[in-house]
Amino acid sequence: MKKSSIFGLVVIAIAIAVIISVYSNSSTYGSFGDATKTNSELHIVGHLNKSKELFYDATKDANYFSFYMKDNKGEERKVIFTGTKPEDFERSEQLVLTGAMVGNEFHASKILMKCPSKYTQDKIEVTEVKAKQASI
Amino acid sequence: MDTVFKGEHLLPGQIGQFFIVLSFGAALLSCISYYFATTEDAGKLDSVWKKLGRIGFFINAASILGIGSCLFFLIYKHYFEYHYSWAYTSRSLPYYYIISAFWNGQEGGFLLWLFWQAFLGVILIFRAKSWEGPVMTVVALSQVMLATMILGVEILGQRIGSSPFLLLRQSMEAPIFSNPNYLEFIKDGQGMVPSLQNYWMIIHPPTLFLGFASMVVPFAYAIAGLWQKKYKEWIQPAIPYALFACMILGTGVVMGSFWAYESLNFGGFWAWDPVENASIFPWITLVAAVHVLVVYKNTGHSYFTATFLVLISFVLVWYSSFLNRSGILGDTSVHSFTDLGMFWQLVIGIMLFLVLSVVLLVRRWKELPITKKDEETYSREFWMFVGAVFLGLSCFHLLVVTSVPVWNAIFHTKMAPPSDIKNHYNVIQSSFVFVITLLTGFTQFLKYKKTDVTRFFITTGIYLFFAALVTALIVYASGVYKLNIVFVLVMWGSVYSVIANAKVLADAFKGKFKLAGSAVAHIGFGLLMVGALISAGTSTVISINNTGEGFSQDFAKEQNPRENITVYRNQPQKMGDYMVTYIGDSISSPNHFFKINYKKVDASGKVTEEFTLKPKVQVNKGQLASSPDTRHYLLHDMYTHITMTNAITATEGGSESADAAHDADNDDKNYDAPVAHDVAPGDTIKYRDGYIVLKALNKEAKVQNIPLTDSDVAIGADLEIVSNGKKYSARPVYMIKNGNVFDFARKVDDAGLKLRFSKVIPETKKVQIIVFQQPESKKKFVVMKAIQFPYINFFWAGTIIMVIGFFLSILRRNKELKTV
Repeated sequence: MKKSSIFGLVVIAIAIAVIISVYSNSSTYGSFGDATKTNSELHIVGHLNKSKELFYDATKDANYFSFYMKDNKGEERKVIFTGTKPEDFERSEQLVLTGAMVGNEFHASKILMKCPSKYTQDKIEVTEVKAKQASI
Repeated sequence: MDTVFKGEHLLPGQIGQFFIVLSFGAALLSCISYYFATTEDAGKLDSVWKKLGRIGFFINAASILGIGSCLFFLIYKHYFEYHYSWAYTSRSLPYYYIISAFWNGQEGGFLLWLFWQAFLGVILIFRAKSWEGPVMTVVALSQVMLATMILGVEILGQRIGSSPFLLLRQSMEAPIFSNPNYLEFIKDGQGMVPSLQNYWMIIHPPTLFLGFASMVVPFAYAIAGLWQKKYKEWIQPAIPYALFACMILGTGVVMGSFWAYESLNFGGFWAWDPVENASIFPWITLVAAVHVLVVYKNTGHSYFTATFLVLISFVLVWYSSFLNRSGILGDTSVHSFTDLGMFWQLVIGIMLFLVLSVVLLVRRWKELPITKKDEETYSREFWMFVGAVFLGLSCFHLLVVTSVPVWNAIFHTKMAPPSDIKNHYNVIQSSFVFVITLLTGFTQFLKYKKTDVTRFFITTGIYLFFAALVTALIVYASGVYKLNIVFVLVMWGSVYSVIANAKVLADAFKGKFKLAGSAVAHIGFGLLMVGALISAGTSTVISINNTGEGFSQDFAKEQNPRENITVYRNQPQKMGDYMVTYIGDSISSPNHFFKINYKKVDASGKVTEEFTLKPKVQVNKGQLASSPDTRHYLLHDMYTHITMTNAITATEGGSESADAAHDADNDDKNYDAPVAHDVAPGDTIKYRDGYIVLKALNKEAKVQNIPLTDSDVAIGADLEIVSNGKKYSARPVYMIKNGNVFDFARKVDDAGLKLRFSKVIPETKKVQIIVFQQPESKKKFVVMKAIQFPYINFFWAGTIIMVIGFFLSILRRNKELKTV
């Protein structure tokens, strides 16, 4: 076999490996119901229940923030985020949480929120907060 | 719709819109003329079509300047009837940011891209000589496509593009716009997003867009080569332009990452955000392309790979623009570009250039100079080719993951990106980088065509071994060994690349100066990787906080360490090796700076290091946005940002102190239960944070605006307060006026105290001082996060060295062009 064909095969093998690794690593969008059934992290889309308590008190613990979120299926859970309360959290229209269930609470490692801008109705702002620092 | 609106300045907008249409028309004329100049008038000395093409292009360039001038005028004059100036500027915006307001919106970005592309086109007209016709046809075509993006004209009920001259009342529906005097109510614009108010935002976007724009030149040459069947000839003139595009785009991307590091609060210089990834797709493929272009020029191998990579780079520029601007990344990116209704228009942009490339490649396939013979295994061309393919694979991986929302849209799936996405990218990309860095090292020792194998293996072995020793040292000293083994391998590859290329550079100084460019660029890339690995891999959060009460057992157990620390005003707090103190604020609207003092004290109590950082929080439209401040050292950086504070309000501007100062009853609620102390001059009162000394009683006390008569008495108590090692003084006053007793409390906000002089007790010659102290929760505090980034300067220095390397290569390839 020619060297270039062997190399071609190697490249194709790597490309397939990449696709498989991405596919197997990729998480899914789910609901709290799905989260209780699995131990792995997943993404949950929902919205903040603004009628229930948002708890954050920096004088007690600067790294504890809890709130209640309703997922798109209507199920509601208490969510705990290790970190500070993101700015303008109350105004969020939609939340995308990444994390896993621990007992009855959902522990989020990342919160992506979408806020309607106060002044511009024609724009959506998106901000993201993460619990942990970037590590290589 | 016949309302006559008052106070609007419609003329500059109309002129601007005229220029937009003119630029579109002129670009179209230029494109068509150049097309006929190439097909009909090929070889003619004074082709009319060519003249027409040039005229069209010059008009296009001039009208782009016209558009820019009009837009600048609107912003500069604060004409808020225009959406663009209303949305991105305000009257209080400092004048130098007016420049960055210019490219704040997506239309401005397109305008910048158009401008640079016109600029490069004009250069090509003068320099491309026999290539002018076909190359300029492609550049003008790209100019036409871009012009449609800002056209803002409705055709058959479909709006094409989004014009920067859109009026506010046209851009949104609101009842206010039925009022002919509506402008009287719009006093000010929205202002620029605080995080964009940074000097890097003046220089980063133009550089980035020059990089994107210059991608068109190698693409145009490749298309021209295929079209004109000059398969071999296009390569040499395209190389310097390709190098230029790599250099500028690389610089632009790293400028962006420097901006993110300096003024955003995600704590690092690279976050694998989809927008960041999208901007490096074309860079990676074009860097790969440059290598195989050189291979083809020297050996005649890798023709198809070279052409393919050049073509795909430009298609990827359009794809990355689609990702950023179509709003498709909504769920995965923090960058807030939204769909301006140009989703399909952007798709057409990608398809136009993709289809053009594919059709030409297919039609010319049989004629392409593809070698049937294999490269020698021990030849430079073979391994450069391998390197290019691995760069391509690295880009492929980035593309597949970043495009997850696109796959979802196409296949109607509900995939989410990997949940630990950074780790995913880091590990997989590092594997590619490891291979690539090794290749940048040993390939330099191979010769084109054939190499002496034994000697090559011995030198490579020695260098790899030496690099392994150095790597072991670095990895051990920096702590990188604690990470995934892949990162250690990357470190080895990078160190090897630096050493091997340093050898090549040393030889270059001895006479083979031609090779200096590539050696320098590779050294730069190696150093960049070393810096990135150490600083991102071993950065440590030093604001570790274990004082939290812990709300549930599980929570405390699982989530350690906690990375935010609460620091009260003037209350030193131990953090890692430092004592940190929040010593004060300085406000210059819209910036609220927090002065955070860092002190390092050695065992004997001597201060060995002291500095003050001023991270800031910006108040904008009732929202708070924080930016870090960083202390730079040669070998590490100390990075600090405020994650939360109670010392600032969304409506900052003094109302806070105003409502607190009066209404004594309410004010007392801000304090713990008062404690009364009976003291004589010289006595000391102890309290939680320190002590208070009654120095003396002063009988000549005065209270502003209250005149005293002879029968009245006013006594001031001179108090010296020592709180957490700091001294303050206060003089509360006791007063008898017209037989009534008053007392005037004094506040020491920095110490969180309010002091009242409430009673004089003649029998014991004592006075009563009431101490109010603020509970911890009412005291001002900041919650902050501090990160130490070691050796990050390698990252920046590596980038600069790499850019110098690109520059040297451009000089060399340009010289070759002239001598041939």
